[in-house]
Amino acid sequence: MSLIGSLNIGKTALAVNQAALQVTGNNIANASNPNYTRQVAQVSTNTDYRAQGNLFIGTGINLDSVQRQIDDALQGRIRGSLSDSSSADVTQQWMGRVEAAFNELGSDDLSTKMSHFFNACSNLANKPQDVGLRQVVIQNGSSLAGWMNNLSGQLGNLQADVDLRLKATVKDADALATRVAQLNQQIIVAEGAGAGQANGLRDQRDDIINQLASMIDIKSVPQANGAINLYVGSEPLVADTQSSGVATHQKVIDGVVQTEVVFKQNNGTMKIASGSLGALVNVRTGIGETLKQLDTVATNFIYEVNKLHSSGQGLTGLTNITSTNAVDDPTAALNDTKATGLKFTPANGSFVVHVREKATGLETSTLVQVKLDGSGADTSVTSLAGDLDAIDGISASVNGGKLVVKSENSAVDFSFSQDTSGALATLGLNSLFNGQTAKDIKIDASVTADPTLLAASKNGQPADNQTALAIAQLESKALTGLSGQNLKDSYQSIVNTIAVASADAKTHAEASSAVKETLATQREALSGVSMDEEAINLMRQQRAFQAASRLISVIDQMMQTVLGLVG
Amino acid sequence: MAILPLQLARVSNQLRTSIAQSQLAKTQQQLIEVQNQLATGNRINTPSDDPGNAAIVQQLQKTLEKAEAYSANIAQAKSSLGNMDATLADVSDLLLQAQTLASANVGSDVTPEARINAASIVDSLYSQALSLANKQFNGVYVFGGDKSTKAPYTGQAGGVQFVGSTQVLSNAYDDNTQMPFMVNGGQVFGAMSARAAGAKNLNPDVSATARLIDLNGALGNGIQPGAIQVSNGAITRTVDLSNAASIGDVINTINSANVGGITAGINAAGNGLTLTAGAGDNILVTDPGGGSTAADLGILHKTASGNGISVVGADVTAKVTPLTKLVDLRGGAGIDPAGFKITNGTVSATIDLSTITTVEGLLNAVNGANLGVRAQINADGSGIDILNTTQGTEMSISEVGGTTASQLGVRTFSPSDALTDLNNGKGLTLGSGADLTITRTDGSSFQVDLNGAQTAQDAIDAINAADAGGGITASFATNGNGLILTDATSGAGALSVANANGSNVVKELGLDSAPISGQIVGKDVNPVVVGGVFANLAKLAQSLRSSDTAGITSAAQALKSDYDQTVLVRGQTGARVQELESRANRLDDQNLATQALLSSLKEVDFTTAITQFQGLQNALQAGLQTTASILNLSLLDYLK
Repeated sequence: MSLIGSLNIGKTALAVNQAALQVTGNNIANASNPNYTRQVAQVSTNTDYRAQGNLFIGTGINLDSVQRQIDDALQGRIRGSLSDSSSADVTQQWMGRVEAAFNELGSDDLSTKMSHFFNACSNLANKPQDVGLRQVVIQNGSSLAGWMNNLSGQLGNLQADVDLRLKATVKDADALATRVAQLNQQIIVAEGAGAGQANGLRDQRDDIINQLASMIDIKSVPQANGAINLYVGSEPLVADTQSSGVATHQKVIDGVVQTEVVFKQNNGTMKIASGSLGALVNVRTGIGETLKQLDTVATNFIYEVNKLHSSGQGLTGLTNITSTNAVDDPTAALNDTKATGLKFTPANGSFVVHVREKATGLETSTLVQVKLDGSGADTSVTSLAGDLDAIDGISASVNGGKLVVKSENSAVDFSFSQDTSGALATLGLNSLFNGQTAKDIKIDASVTADPTLLAASKNGQPADNQTALAIAQLESKALTGLSGQNLKDSYQSIVNTIAVASADAKTHAEASSAVKETLATQREALSGVSMDEEAINLMRQQRAFQAASRLISVIDQMMQTVLGLVG
Repeated sequence: MAILPLQLARVSNQLRTSIAQSQLAKTQQQLIEVQNQLATGNRINTPSDDPGNAAIVQQLQKTLEKAEAYSANIAQAKSSLGNMDATLADVSDLLLQAQTLASANVGSDVTPEARINAASIVDSLYSQALSLANKQFNGVYVFGGDKSTKAPYTGQAGGVQFVGSTQVLSNAYDDNTQMPFMVNGGQVFGAMSARAAGAKNLNPDVSATARLIDLNGALGNGIQPGAIQVSNGAITRTVDLSNAASIGDVINTINSANVGGITAGINAAGNGLTLTAGAGDNILVTDPGGGSTAADLGILHKTASGNGISVVGADVTAKVTPLTKLVDLRGGAGIDPAGFKITNGTVSATIDLSTITTVEGLLNAVNGANLGVRAQINADGSGIDILNTTQGTEMSISEVGGTTASQLGVRTFSPSDALTDLNNGKGLTLGSGADLTITRTDGSSFQVDLNGAQTAQDAIDAINAADAGGGITASFATNGNGLILTDATSGAGALSVANANGSNVVKELGLDSAPISGQIVGKDVNPVVVGGVFANLAKLAQSLRSSDTAGITSAAQALKSDYDQTVLVRGQTGARVQELESRANRLDDQNLATQALLSSLKEVDFTTAITQFQGLQNALQAGLQTTASILNLSLLDYLK
């Protein structure tokens, strides 16, 4: 019970309220900082002393700590939702671009181009001797081929874009992981294993971890020393003050160089499931799949059309043709796709070569066996050239892996028919389309130069329409190469897959953003600064400060009075 | 729109602004979507807007695109068949005119001069008919079939030759219907002889290179390559023949399966397969799983053959193809290379087979000889037909010392021909009692009664019997076609043949030629002719010129049947046009329905969209207003 004791009470009150005012001030200052966590000054009553007997008197107030108003569990869920939502956003964005490349549902899309080509063939069947109608088929065919090239190119460009984006994101993620490790270090040093928390550093670190979470689906595990360890899958990305780093690595998958996300430290594959990086990896794989499916449709289209066309006859006979698909090994069996490098696989069978005397129109036919039953010497390009060369009136040779067939003199020309093996289409002899995939499909140059070579006939008569009719009917024919689907349905299923994936991403983006917002709201409710609250605190602390000052002044007066007694 | 938890302990400033921001952003996003829908008029702009309906939309678009082709095909077919209808009307008018001329000039009161005048009118009808037959529409010879690049009927010495094709083009008019859009010229004007010279099954042997598609199969259903099961009693193996393309492939595959000592090969008859058993092999061949490969190949053997006993396969009935070798024909007996002679009207040629090895070579030799005939493989692939394609000429195919024509079955007149078939089916005009008086060189004569004779050989036998060793030998020509009478007697007279008792058999047996050194060489009285408009008009003109009333009547009758045939074809064409018409209407209806469905799926309902737009606009306005006023409220305003 001393005046000095009372003065001390006033002192603690002044100090604590001043500090609390600072906290309030800091809160107000950070009111518009979304990453800021509201801080509260934790105060407690000072230990009272026993004045006499059973009488205890208080000794003022004490500032215990300045605490961040944060829920660590909520923070973890927010990070999960950030990964999900940014993954969905990125997927939606890129799938939208893929969808735009296809441009379906309009009148200018691949399915319409396909219809136009088949319709032109159907129309050619109405007047198979017409050169003009052939031009229409060629026009529509090259427009279809061009569209396929373009689509394949666009998808390839998208893939390259994704790769670029992936590399940039990886760089960012690496910097962020390093920053987290640095902050861990600073926090460990600053807090020095004491009870207090370096709130500002922790806010900074939370912000960086959130940014990283939007790229990679990380798991954060707080450590006793104040550090936060980050894991991708079960492997550590940041352990205390060490970051394993994020890097890209070029890897050859299916003969295509692809970028893979790895730990910088050991080049181990990072198993990213979500976040923008996870989405980019998935999108790139998805575009790769789409390209492959598109190629399957293109390949089957080329092969099936060529199978019919190569056994058909145009208005003029052939005099000098070169196969468009070169083989790597001319002596390898034709169905040994590994050795030949051909995209298509011919079957055991045969075809007929007709050598026609131009003057009389009379034909001499020769059956050419394509032996591919695996028993003994199977047909190769070289043996085929030998068989063709033995036919009177034509000569055949292999040049650079390509089969060259020529009329031996200008009095004869030749044609092919009844190819049950598919060997002609495989090699690209007398074909309508060149190339083997969506990327390189194009109308045969010699047909473009001389439309009369376009085969509409099947029995050799110039006015026969059976080949044109058969090509037109290919449109709705179930193909084994497309697992029983027809060309258009197969193409449509690609578009549908993309549509579903894109719509899925859209829905997922909405849903995950709702989750993210809900969680953010919850965080704001806890950690956000309310100006009104702070204004009230401000008033209270101001008043308390004023009252404490008044207390001191009262004690001062009392001191004066007491000292007056002395004086 | 996100649903935010409303049980909030406290509301911070940041929360107020972020909620306001996200709500406003969402409303604006929805506004953009509706605005886009209103601007494009489409509810579905990209497939992902509604993947389920987008798939249907694509399907419907595909249907519409396909319908474009069908409707173009229908329009094309309608125009060419419509034009055909007009052409056929002209043809039937022309035929009616010819008939009228014939009936006007058949009466006994008509002078020969008048008939000659009428004949020149028929001549002009003839050339009109020719130009109708070669009519072009849109650059296509309408009666040319799949050879419509050239005029199908060309004037040939003595007649009109059909060089077109009876194979007409067809096209698709919906997913399941394929219909011809041309008319077979042969049905209107006549094309090829109905009587195919050559009706013989040439039964070719099979060789290792024979394609399975060229075999009719032991059951006559072709070969369905699949798996068969071969067993020798101890080992049973499934032999997969689905990859086999030729008989050689089948043999190789069975042999490489190594079922005991069983080896496959071509049977002794050369017409199928044989499975040779090794010692102790008890052969069993079955078709597993309901296949028919073994049965088709003629080697199905469901009961064990017995130890060491081979299975000889049935005839797989190979078809005749252009690639078939002549030596394989007739069960491997081959064809006599001597050749045969074709005479058509005034032209003739000998087809020598000594350097020809394949059926295609034979066909080329005949077709390349410019005889107005056409050689082709018959429809079921069993033999070779040589047809007369020239109206107005007679085709005769005879031997040149060998038996080639008989082996191919193309000889037009042979000893086995029925007498009733001769002279274009008119047969013989027999007398009452003996029909023929034959006078030998020595002046003696005898009579022959042909009553009861069925074939040309019977007639020969009857002559020889009646002669009873008197010196006359009747025989059938081995070089050429016809009967030959050889007289061994000598004297001052000459060998002669005369009709008896009102018969007309001398001419009808082809014996009306002068004897040369004691021999009468008869003519072919069973040549192949092709009927048709041109032949009948020519006959009418000829009969009018020669005032042959019987000829005029018979020509008129033939023209009547041509007319009926034309009317029939015209009716069929009309029916087809009508069908196309109704198909076109149906297609239009379908398109309309598809369009309606498409627009209901794809296009936006403006009422709904505009209402939505209005609602969103209000929501945005309300959002902006409340946000502005809420964010303005602060306790600080009230602190003094």
